[in-house]
Amino acid sequence: MSDVLFTSVSGLLAFQKALSVTSNNVANVDTPGYSVESANFSPQVGVTTSVGSFGNGVDVSSVTRSYSELLAGQMRTSQSSYSGFNSFATTAASIDSVLSDSSTGMTATLQGFTNSLQTLANAPTLPASGTAVLSAAQTLAQSVQGYATQLSAADQNVEGQISSNVQEINSLASGIATLNSQISGTTTSGAPNALLDQRDQLINQLSQYVSVTTATQSDGTMQVFIGNGQALVNSGTAQTLSAIPNQYNPTQFDVGVTSSGATVDITGSITGGSLGGLLAVRSQVIEPTLNALGQISVGVASIINQQQASGLTQSGAQGQPMFAVGAVQVSGSSFNTGTAQISATRTNLSALTPDDYVLSNNGGTWQLYDQTAHQTVAMGGDGSAGNPFTAAGLSMVVSGAANSGDSFLVQPTATAAAGFNVLLTSPAQIASAAAVQTSATTTNTGSGTIAPATVTDPTDPNLLTATSLVFSSPTQYQINGAGPTFAYTPGAAITANGWTTSISGAPAAGDSFTVSSNAGNPGDNTNLFAMIDGLSANSLNGGTISLQGAANSLVSQVGSQTQQAQANAQAQQSVNTSATAAVNSTSGVNLDEEAANMVKFQQAYQACAQLIQASTTMFNTLITAIG
Amino acid sequence: MRVSTLGFQTSASDQMQSLESAIAKTQSQLSSGLKLQTAADDPAGMAQVNQLDSQISASQQYQANGSALNSNLTIEEQSLTDATNVMQSARDLALQANNSALTPSQRQDIATQLQQLLQQLVGTANSTDANGNYLFAGEATTTVPFAQTGNSVAYNGSTSVSQVQISPNQRVSSGDAGSNVFINIPAGNGTFTTAVGGANTGSATIGPGTVVNASQWVPDTYTITFSDPTDYTVTDSLGNPVTSGTYASPGAISFNGISTTVSGTPAAGDTFTVAPAGTSSAFNTLSSLITTLNDPTLTSAQLATQTGTAMEQIDGAISNFNQVQASVGARINAVTAASSSAATVQTTMTASVSSLRDVDYTAATTQLSTEMVALQAAQESYASIANMSLFNYLK
Repeated sequence: MSDVLFTSVSGLLAFQKALSVTSNNVANVDTPGYSVESANFSPQVGVTTSVGSFGNGVDVSSVTRSYSELLAGQMRTSQSSYSGFNSFATTAASIDSVLSDSSTGMTATLQGFTNSLQTLANAPTLPASGTAVLSAAQTLAQSVQGYATQLSAADQNVEGQISSNVQEINSLASGIATLNSQISGTTTSGAPNALLDQRDQLINQLSQYVSVTTATQSDGTMQVFIGNGQALVNSGTAQTLSAIPNQYNPTQFDVGVTSSGATVDITGSITGGSLGGLLAVRSQVIEPTLNALGQISVGVASIINQQQASGLTQSGAQGQPMFAVGAVQVSGSSFNTGTAQISATRTNLSALTPDDYVLSNNGGTWQLYDQTAHQTVAMGGDGSAGNPFTAAGLSMVVSGAANSGDSFLVQPTATAAAGFNVLLTSPAQIASAAAVQTSATTTNTGSGTIAPATVTDPTDPNLLTATSLVFSSPTQYQINGAGPTFAYTPGAAITANGWTTSISGAPAAGDSFTVSSNAGNPGDNTNLFAMIDGLSANSLNGGTISLQGAANSLVSQVGSQTQQAQANAQAQQSVNTSATAAVNSTSGVNLDEEAANMVKFQQAYQACAQLIQASTTMFNTLITAIG
Repeated sequence: MRVSTLGFQTSASDQMQSLESAIAKTQSQLSSGLKLQTAADDPAGMAQVNQLDSQISASQQYQANGSALNSNLTIEEQSLTDATNVMQSARDLALQANNSALTPSQRQDIATQLQQLLQQLVGTANSTDANGNYLFAGEATTTVPFAQTGNSVAYNGSTSVSQVQISPNQRVSSGDAGSNVFINIPAGNGTFTTAVGGANTGSATIGPGTVVNASQWVPDTYTITFSDPTDYTVTDSLGNPVTSGTYASPGAISFNGISTTVSGTPAAGDTFTVAPAGTSSAFNTLSSLITTLNDPTLTSAQLATQTGTAMEQIDGAISNFNQVQASVGARINAVTAASSSAATVQTTMTASVSSLRDVDYTAATTQLSTEMVALQAAQESYASIANMSLFNYLK
């Protein structure tokens, strides 16, 4: 009889515990990261008699959480991918929407500038048309500068996010380390479910910032690795990440980890998560776009400025540069120990690239490395002022003494767009007319004709000096009728004083031709057409693409990067949704299930109580019978 | 499979949010009228739209260039008509003056009228366009091209003219330099002139001649010498023989791609010359006619010869004006053709841009209502399912 009472009481206690587990589940129905727990019953060892064994009731042997390491890992991986693409897409989309504006877009403003030159060509002496050219140039400059400003702002935003991401990662890592210490050594049977849930939840959060892999140790602690295997948490200690200034550009952050006093740059091994996305969008969208924009600005400025110098203004003077662009950016590494300085200038528009280069001294030998194309670039020259290094459309002069290992970041176009300005202030400064004109002397008796001259060297001091080509015989000519005699070949180029022309036909002895300043012909628009033709010619990337084409491909490049990142983010989001659903189906709390459990445990509890009642009745019956 | 209560709530709200963002996107397409809002919507399409936009804008610029050019060419055409009329009047006056019955003072009256015509011609040649630029000054558009001192007129303009772009690959001259219109008017038949030797004793005359084959013509001064009334030799300026032959009146003499006719009987030793045509200026023609008419000492024969020459030169000037006018007309036609083809191209390109960029309202509206139905369904089902719980029935 006492067995019945004892057994029933064990049931009462066990179901009470089970109900308490159920109530804990219900209470945590909205707790993120909570894994549903269940009470595990086991029968108590009974008394063995000659007729068999009588059970001794029940006990709750353990409370376990329903959890799958595999599913949790899948969820974290997809979470990292999704956050990475999402932070990439968010930044890229903000740049995309700025570049896509059709009214202020570069293709539109470039075309507007060309159109204004066409209008001026219709009547080069009309000041209103000249003013329109300057205002179209201003619009173009504002649009280019506006983009450069927006891209810098996007970059600053990214830098800010990188350092706040690093702080978040550090605080999560130290949280995980603390939980590791608390969990360490506790037995599996007495597993601290709440602590495990908390730690898993912190790792889930960490996976939003960077990709995570984990390894559980025998003492229950968890090792956490980020990116390509960089250890972040080991047992009870967490590594501290820091946002460190880039060696070339202190306003740009890299990610470093400090161990035993030394800070190591681990930027290259960070992948996935919002931090990985930010680093990727910076190097794949912001910097290349700024460089490409700079390349186009340099193109416009160099074509127009060159032509300005090769033409005459209304007052008959050679034109001044119309546009200014930012210079080549050269930044020495913060690790440099020597005193060397590099000065770089652009010399060849067609060879100029939108890439960034590192010029480094390797045991006394200078090497140029293309950071974008990941290859070494051969250089001409020796770096001295008389024979500068030449490569990628640049000319570089080294001054001072460098030590081996010193390096410089050379950015040919990165800051060009930010410095793109209009220098001219008055329409009278626009050089519409050709610099020189050619004419045949009216008394010539031969049939020779002279072609219009083109300017090949606008800096020649004698460019505008009248020069005559005098034929001493039908096959020979002299410049200004004196000095050396040149053999005449019909149609061959004749170059002198910074211009080139050609004579064809059969000139007679004594015939002469004159190349002289074109001043006094303000209606001439030859130079404007040279500008228009220059703007539409394939002038960039080795003469393969026009300015318009480059501006257009800039827009579609950012557009397709954004589109791709958005599509990937969307795909990873659905992967993450189903991975999360899989985790939830294992670890989530379902209230209906808990209600059913509650009813089940309640009924069992009531049944045990009834058995105690029955036992009491039996006891009373016995007492009554005796008494 | 267990459905987590929290998970159900989260996913239901996620789904409703994604439907709402789809609706917001469709709505923004409908309100802006653009389906291509940023390059990310369709990078290739955006590149195409930008390129087409530039081409449309360039094409409109070419049309504007063309219409500015057209107005200048129309003014030029009118000026040339005026100049032709002036020369026509001068020709009538020359014809009138070529009459031995007129007294010197009557001829001077005609000369006075011619002086007015000369001034009128200078005025016409100094016409300006709508911007005040001189039409016939070449590229020196701000310089008065023709300066008159007394009866002589000098050209101060430039001999080259600027170009205007009227289509992507067509640039035409914006005008004509005054030197080509009024100054360098070809004399004779335009290629060569013929003349009778001054010491001829025979009665033979030589016609103006024609060009048979322009490519064979070598500009030089040729002399046709008759060794007797039926035999001739042609020599060039260096005395080298070019051709020779026999002659019977009237006979054509042909060499180096030209042909000229001699009629009458030449005496032995008579010569005729064929020389490259020079040029004469319309102003000089009028001023020398004025000088002729003002000279009372001329014999009637001299008067007849000189007015005859003047009339021939006036005819040459008129024909030159007509030629320039024809080229102006051709340019006006080219501008009109370019402008109408630009309009067609613009229509096509605008349609392409629209099909790439603009929203299809029917499709977008249908999509919006589909998305709204989906959202409504999601909301309603959520509202009814979210309330369901076994706890509701445990009393």
